Amino acid sequence: MTAQDGTARQAVEHLLLELPHQEAIRPDGTDVSFQTAWEIRAFALAVAAHQNGEYDWTQFQEALVGAITRWEQAQGTTPYRYYDRWLEALESLLAARGLLDVADVEERTRVVLTTPRDTGHHRAHREPVAVDAARA
Amino acid sequence: MTRTEITPSPTVTPRSEEQIAARVKALEAMLIEKGIMTTDAVDRLAEIYENEVGPQLGAKVVAKAWTDPAFRERLLADASAACAELEIGGLQGEDMVVVENTDTVHNTIVCTLCSCYPWPVLGLPPNWYKAPAYRSRIVRQPRAVLREDFGLDVPDSVEIRVWDSSSELRYWVLPQRPADTEGLSEEELAGLVTRDAMIGVGQPLHPGR
Repeated sequence: MTAQDGTARQAVEHLLLELPHQEAIRPDGTDVSFQTAWEIRAFALAVAAHQNGEYDWTQFQEALVGAITRWEQAQGTTPYRYYDRWLEALESLLAARGLLDVADVEERTRVVLTTPRDTGHHRAHREPVAVDAARA
Repeated sequence: MTRTEITPSPTVTPRSEEQIAARVKALEAMLIEKGIMTTDAVDRLAEIYENEVGPQLGAKVVAKAWTDPAFRERLLADASAACAELEIGGLQGEDMVVVENTDTVHNTIVCTLCSCYPWPVLGLPPNWYKAPAYRSRIVRQPRAVLREDFGLDVPDSVEIRVWDSSSELRYWVLPQRPADTEGLSEEELAGLVTRDAMIGVGQPLHPGR
């Protein structure tokens, strides 16, 4: 890790330490951990918007507490996932600040889901794409 | 502003991994278009952690395959099902295939079009895996790329097979068990299995190193 990465990391760790449910952020008790790529992107979006001055970190903290509370009150209609609540918190906060319309997110998501990433690419390739034969 | 003014988004209905991932992608695109953030800013933040989502699960599967011949058979026959035995799984509909290295065949994986990768077992792909240079060169000159870029000298007597992962079928490599590891436990063996070995651009570590 370079010194620059270390500094960026410290700044982010500082933000993360202020959030509720540290056990979800650090499942093994020490290091921050993510399970999927989208969790990391959702994390990065919330920090980037904060760093751009769109909201104070305490406001994100409150939005996250609010999203988790709503999930708890809904009594298990969906499995608890920290970064799912995180995403909800981010959307609700941006909407409350007039920066985003949640209906637009719904529509854009539908577009993403219906646009093939690459039509040929959804095919399974069952043979090697290249073979370099033995020479000896 | 009080919390009660925040509109709940409709997330009380269950969403699949694919739906959530698409939603995050949509949100990112919208926020960038609105000038709230730049792609670079998001990438820089994501990079702090993305190299650390590690391949420990894959290493565990490999170590079990090395010590349990029946499991190895099942892994090679149906990797998704064998991994599910260990409660390791991924997105629905995404099949995994494990290709086994032998004395005569060395396997390497790539996604020639983007960055398809067996993330449920290997974590997130390293940046070089996503780079156009690796994606094109490993197909054209696998032996040279392994030697020059990764320091992996595959003997001329060994055939190299390069497997192209897609969104439907993702490959990963079962490396050969290192010599002099007879007395090691499954856990100790897992510690020898590197991410690069399961991509096929490296070999497992040797004990004591």
